[in-house]
Amino acid sequence: MTRVFRVAFAGLVFVFALSGCVGPARTTHTYESKAVRTANDSLSELQTALLSVQMTRRGRMMQVYLETVLSESEDAFSSIQNTFDSIQPPDTGRADQLRAGLDTLLSDGADGLAQLRILARRQDTRGLAAEVHKLTATAAALDKFAQEHG
Amino acid sequence: MKRLLGVALGILTAIGGFVDIGDLVTNALVGSRFGLSLAWATLVGLVGICLYAEMSGRVAAVTSRGTFDLVRERLGPRAGLANLIASFLVTALTFTAEIGGIALSLELATSVNYLLWVPMLGLAVWLLIWRVKFSIMENVFGLLGLTLLVFGVALWQLHPQWGDLLHQIAVPHKPTNEGTPVYFYYAIALFGAAMTPYEVFFFSSGGVEEKWTKKDIITERINVYLGFPLGGLLSVSIAAVAAIVLLPNNISVNTLGQVGLPIAVASGKLALAVAILGFVAATFGAALETGLSCGYSVAQYFGWQWGKFVRPRDAGRFHLLVLLTLILAVGGVLTTINPITITEYSVVFSAVALPLTYFPILVIANDPDYMGDKANGRICNFLGSIYLVIIVVASAAAIPLMFWTKAGQ
Repeated sequence: MTRVFRVAFAGLVFVFALSGCVGPARTTHTYESKAVRTANDSLSELQTALLSVQMTRRGRMMQVYLETVLSESEDAFSSIQNTFDSIQPPDTGRADQLRAGLDTLLSDGADGLAQLRILARRQDTRGLAAEVHKLTATAAALDKFAQEHG
Repeated sequence: MKRLLGVALGILTAIGGFVDIGDLVTNALVGSRFGLSLAWATLVGLVGICLYAEMSGRVAAVTSRGTFDLVRERLGPRAGLANLIASFLVTALTFTAEIGGIALSLELATSVNYLLWVPMLGLAVWLLIWRVKFSIMENVFGLLGLTLLVFGVALWQLHPQWGDLLHQIAVPHKPTNEGTPVYFYYAIALFGAAMTPYEVFFFSSGGVEEKWTKKDIITERINVYLGFPLGGLLSVSIAAVAAIVLLPNNISVNTLGQVGLPIAVASGKLALAVAILGFVAATFGAALETGLSCGYSVAQYFGWQWGKFVRPRDAGRFHLLVLLTLILAVGGVLTTINPITITEYSVVFSAVALPLTYFPILVIANDPDYMGDKANGRICNFLGSIYLVIIVVASAAAIPLMFWTKAGQ
């Protein structure tokens, strides 16, 4: 019985470890597909933040809810960015180009989300409108990136 | 009149108590990625849970004994122990997810970090399990859970193309940007969320707590055959609002805040507040149910005194076990693993454990030695057997698909 438990426990650990880990990208194609996934995931977080701000400005969402959603989006975005940055790209010019292009968008998105959170907590309506404008452009660029490479 | 009120209350609490954190997150996630093309999986799970909940309720009404007590006696201690371990682990994982779910709901209402809520919630769950009467617990949280019907209202206010929605359900098409393995991985997750094992243990143990007899079988059937399908419709409406609002905006659900976003879009601030109340009620109610189910399963297997129909001091080991499981669950949430991730794994592992949960129920409900003239009829056995095949297939496919798709990525 002890052996059965040991095997079962090892299996469970193996499942959790494998299903959550980030693998290296061995080819440019694999790296590109991971970049597209990153673009889509980060786009989802930006869109969540943008829609929430829009709803709050229209008086359809509570301030506390907005603050929580923005904070969660920022955390999730940061995690997506870190995961992408931790992938070792293959040694090709195209992979480096992909990385540079997406990294810029991710940095813009992360900065924009942080700014959005700060402005939302200060209830700075005018500042929020300007930041939403900038982030919408970043979201459009991420969408374009995903479409072009997907 | 009193009986009629009892039946109505039973139906309402069955609807309100149907949805838990697994249903909320999985349905919204699937709706935001697949539209309603996977609603069939919820409907298949819904028929399954109705079938087996009815059987387990009938077994409780006829024998007045808990499921694990009968499983051990009928299948022997070894098979019973395997069943107990699998069911307990999955239910404890679900318990952890539910506590995380309450904390996340309160964070949405207060913007206070969810981790700060967890110790207080642990204490509140324990106090309620220790002090409050079973029927009060069940009815209050079941009725408050009805506030989630706000998702149905939101769906109506979004003015969808109803024909298009029905077409997506009736003629499912996998979205082109999603792979086939991912599609089936989420089908199994939805199936697991609908057929979560604890629902059956809680339902049958609740029957024993409320001292059901053969006379209550009709009431039990009405609760199951009316309440559960209406609860299932609620699950589909959660997926539908996500499909209408989130999918076109490229938003894929991975937080509870995103689950409520379509409510704000469709119905505004007040409805969103009602939805948050619904999140709290649904997850709190499910936390009580899963916590009690952990205690029920172990106590019934070992033959200890269990339940809330006796004073806590007369069921000391049962209450101690619930407390220890609660401490583990609270500790699990405090590890800072995202409760939504715990929820996603809990519904998939529920699917893995399904055969161990449902096979013994079919065996006992079909055994005339236990059930007398209330044993399964031919149709019930036929459907039960078909579902057992579906359950085994889903269970066998769950882990390989989890590897293949990196947990649905």
